[in-house]
Amino acid sequence: MGLLSCVTINNEWDIVKARQLGRECARDVGFSTVDQARIATAVSELARNIYLYTDSGQLCFEQISHTEQKGMTLVSLDDGPGMDDISQMMEDGYSTSGGLGTGLPGVKRLVDQFDIQSEKGKGTEIRAVKWTR
Amino acid sequence: MRIPILKLHNYLLISIQTEMDDNTAIQFQEDLLSEIHRTGASGVVIDLTSVDMIDSFIAKVLGDVVKMSNLMGAKVVLTGIQPPVAMTLIELGVHLQNVPTALDLEQGLLKLRQELGE
Amino acid sequence: MLDKDFKSIVLNNSDTIVQKWLAEIDTMKRANYSDSVSEELLESTNREFVNIIFNSIKNQGETEKLQQFAEKLIHLGWQVSYITDGLQVFRRVTIDFILDQSDKVDSHYISELMQQVDLWVEPVIRQLVNEYSGNWENIISLQRVALQELSAPLIPVIDNITVMPLIGTIDTERAKLIMEGLLDGVIKHNSEVVLIDITGVPVVDTMVAHHIIQAAEAVRLIGATCILVGIRPEIAQTIVNLGIDLSKFPTKSSLRKGFITALEMTGRQIVDSGQKDDSIEQMMDSLGGA
Repeated sequence: MGLLSCVTINNEWDIVKARQLGRECARDVGFSTVDQARIATAVSELARNIYLYTDSGQLCFEQISHTEQKGMTLVSLDDGPGMDDISQMMEDGYSTSGGLGTGLPGVKRLVDQFDIQSEKGKGTEIRAVKWTR
Repeated sequence: MRIPILKLHNYLLISIQTEMDDNTAIQFQEDLLSEIHRTGASGVVIDLTSVDMIDSFIAKVLGDVVKMSNLMGAKVVLTGIQPPVAMTLIELGVHLQNVPTALDLEQGLLKLRQELGE
Repeated sequence: MLDKDFKSIVLNNSDTIVQKWLAEIDTMKRANYSDSVSEELLESTNREFVNIIFNSIKNQGETEKLQQFAEKLIHLGWQVSYITDGLQVFRRVTIDFILDQSDKVDSHYISELMQQVDLWVEPVIRQLVNEYSGNWENIISLQRVALQELSAPLIPVIDNITVMPLIGTIDTERAKLIMEGLLDGVIKHNSEVVLIDITGVPVVDTMVAHHIIQAAEAVRLIGATCILVGIRPEIAQTIVNLGIDLSKFPTKSSLRKGFITALEMTGRQIVDSGQKDDSIEQMMDSLGGA
């Protein structure tokens, strides 16, 4: 539907690149500054997950619209190890990397729709949708 | 990219004005701790007015640096966190409890003086 | 072919049908909602209504009169059931009448008849109901805007102290608006202390408390302090019974007490200047002197 732009995440610098692109895209859609911050933060969390747990992956942004509403989809794709237990990943405070353990459940709270699919050994796909108010 | 740390009397002042990547954040943590050690500063103000996003990693680094500085005998105040950033942090589930905050640099210095009883 | 027959039967006997319709509507109205409406208005509206129905049968697709009629009803504040009931009665009366007139009645004939009458009634119902629902949607969106304007007033009472009175139920959408308004206001007025007054919040459940706690924490992050005031006894009871932890920020029972605390926190206090006593003494003196 809308513009699709992607960032490949290989190193730490790509995290910054991804959130700059994400914020730019959010601004284009017409999100408020608060929502821009929410989106940039969600992007940063998703990008960091790719960087920390997989060899490489992609983060893509798509502008979407539904009737009068405009929005944006964040897609995180990787061919990493996959997740053992998605419900555990979505618990607050759970972390295998020594972080705050707020990443994924935090992202879910920042966006309007959140969908995660993972297969052990094959990779993970996360789709997060945010609508303008 | 290194974040400059300024000394004023026995305080250290830092204004973060760059988009922080993970390396910059870690580097900043190390730089600040060694400056506290070198100068024997008793108070630190980290101003975040120009920061437009803090994710869970940067929040962790900031929270850690506050705890570490406290261990070394320096009180830290975070100032100028912007409303969108504050809201995002709360929704993300990052509360930065036990981290003193103030509206701006001036209030931050006042707060330090109060807490240090000077 | 049948269509024409039905149409001509109805149009040729419009007087009889109208009489029957009016009679039946009249009995219904007695039972329902005629109390506040004058007899004449009811009658004239009924006549107008039935004319419009016949008009619409005669010239299919005429919408202007329907629209005017709907606007009039909306303006009068009549319920939409007046329309649906009226058309339902028309449908029944017409079908009864035509069946009475016809000599050969089989199931095919009946189904044709029903179908035809539905074709007459449906567009009228659809348009009138659309007018009504359009009007409702309009009202709802206006009220939503009004509610948002009411949502979170921020009052800078004195340097560095701001009050935000919350009124009404707080849902997630409103909570976000409140938080945004609160934080922007703190920055704008350079407030060290914000008093959130929940006197006007009818129920504080876990959800509402959660939103208030989040707002207070966000306020702390940007460098100010929140004091929650206006905690009524029943609210205190529910908060404790629900196991909600509000211990992280100060709470006070009234705005007055909260304001005094806020003054203390910003290094100030209320001092009675004693001027009133002085002036009374002066008055007494001058009286004594005279």
